[in-house]
Amino acid sequence: MLFGTADLETLAADAPRMEQLDTEALVLPGAAVLQVAFEMPASARECLLPAGLHPTDPPLASIVVWRCAESPLGAFALAQLRVSCRSGLRPRAFLTGAVIDDAAAGQALAARWGFRHRVGRVELSRQYDTVTAAVALDGRTILAVALRDPDPLGPHDVQYTASMHLAHTPRGLRLVQVDPTFAVERAERGRAALTAFDGAAWGDARIAPVHPVSASIARADVTLPRLRYLCRPDLWAFEGTEGV
Amino acid sequence: MQFGLFFELSVPRPFTDGIERAVYERSLEQVRLADALGFDTVWAVEHHFLEEYSHCSAPEIFLTACAMQTTRIRVGHGAVVCVPAMNHPVRVAERAAVLDIVSGGRLELGTARSSTWTELGGFMVDPDTTKKTWDEYVRVLPKMWTQERFAWDGVSFSMPERSILPKPVQRPHPPLWVTVTSPGTELDAADRGIGCLGVAAAGFAEQERRTREYHRRIQGCEPVSSVVNDRVATLNFLYCHEDARVAAATGMRMLGLFSFFNANLLPTREAFPTRAYQSLGALAPPPGAERGSPGDPRGIPEGIAIGDPARIVEAIARWESIGVDAINFIVNAVETIPQAEVLASLRLFAAEVMPRFRKRA
Repeated sequence: MLFGTADLETLAADAPRMEQLDTEALVLPGAAVLQVAFEMPASARECLLPAGLHPTDPPLASIVVWRCAESPLGAFALAQLRVSCRSGLRPRAFLTGAVIDDAAAGQALAARWGFRHRVGRVELSRQYDTVTAAVALDGRTILAVALRDPDPLGPHDVQYTASMHLAHTPRGLRLVQVDPTFAVERAERGRAALTAFDGAAWGDARIAPVHPVSASIARADVTLPRLRYLCRPDLWAFEGTEGV
Repeated sequence: MQFGLFFELSVPRPFTDGIERAVYERSLEQVRLADALGFDTVWAVEHHFLEEYSHCSAPEIFLTACAMQTTRIRVGHGAVVCVPAMNHPVRVAERAAVLDIVSGGRLELGTARSSTWTELGGFMVDPDTTKKTWDEYVRVLPKMWTQERFAWDGVSFSMPERSILPKPVQRPHPPLWVTVTSPGTELDAADRGIGCLGVAAAGFAEQERRTREYHRRIQGCEPVSSVVNDRVATLNFLYCHEDARVAAATGMRMLGLFSFFNANLLPTREAFPTRAYQSLGALAPPPGAERGSPGDPRGIPEGIAIGDPARIVEAIARWESIGVDAINFIVNAVETIPQAEVLASLRLFAAEVMPRFRKRA
């Protein structure tokens, strides 16, 4: 049985602060959702996760980019780096870092759902046979990824696991379970190609995408729901889960 | 009603010297006892790379050892993964025939296509192709076993005419099964006239629906062979003890750990969006699964063979009533139950539960 071994103090250092847990749901209509999955080396299996989460084998990193042309927070694009894991019996992904192109939207997402983020440039663009995403911080590219040769899938063929966001909450340092729903209108899958990646900029230099697995692009109404559960980051979910 | 043992060969961390050997030897001891007690079949899965959960990557060799150490129990090679990167169909046919010979005609052959990204990704298999290759395998295996010479021009493999040797002892060939984790695969089994080897724990209502539909559909099947295997087997967990409280505590510990390791697998669908894998393929009862009767204070999921003999008789009678022909039991998980207790559980089951169902047969 494997548990995360990441140092909690280090993880907590730049975790966002949430003043309250009672937030309203937020609908992001017609969002473009790019998800690219890569395997990481086994050496990164446990060290990226807090002790309350369990790694998958192989360890999997997913890059998730949302481009929301219209939303109650205004237009924004958000890129997330998540590491696949389990919280008890449940499939989850741990958010190690995110970049958003709108500071106000980022502040709202951090305060309401614990999105650890920085403000930078996030681009997601579509050509006929390629979807590209690029992320830059302070003018330096930290991610360049592409989905090539997309093929149609059914709306239910793509799966998005819920996220665990480490945040300082009124109850202390907690893993905040964020489980958006995706009403997918159309989805496609293609080959993943990564041309630039800086693990340190996404939260840990040991994040190393080495083997491309899949890339999908979808158009969906994304709903960030009210928070339901928190988990202690130092206890496994069977002991550390708390209702909101 | 027939009863079997079902082995994943799970190995707990830490992976100390000798731990894998100990698990294999304990499992073989369980098989020898099961043979003596009158269990009908021992099944062993094929899994690759699944640390702790299953170290059973060469089941045909484990099953050969089972066959050599027993005299009566049938050996279930189930399920062999039917994708070329893992097993060429000719090798599947050859190995199965040899196992049938050395076991004296005791082989049952299960087929599958693997459900985790850990395994498919490890062999660089395109998940979109596995249903196609599985379908081709189940159609060619009977031909390979029964035709003097065999040639094929197919989707996943082609070959010029050759004599595939040896031929199995059973005529026309060993019974064929397909493992059923995803809902709907039971219909694939029915359409091809092969047995339904359930490996996902389902509640009574769901299993009854699937079994009824399987039996209805197989009436009009286009069999892949000259014989139809129309049996339905299900997966279960077994811990039998005279004291219901002890049974529940020990059995639920096993079930909980198995569920945990099962949930920690990486299903293909989680890593690779595809139409080919519509469900996550979990073997354990899902969290929040139907629980036992409202009066069951121990939270044992319905139909699970954990308890004192009376409770297990009741559960199996219900399975029997909905048309299940065989139940295969997981009797330990990551060595959570000491070997002596596993053996005692098997003995008690054979003494107090099994005879009730043998009489009916």
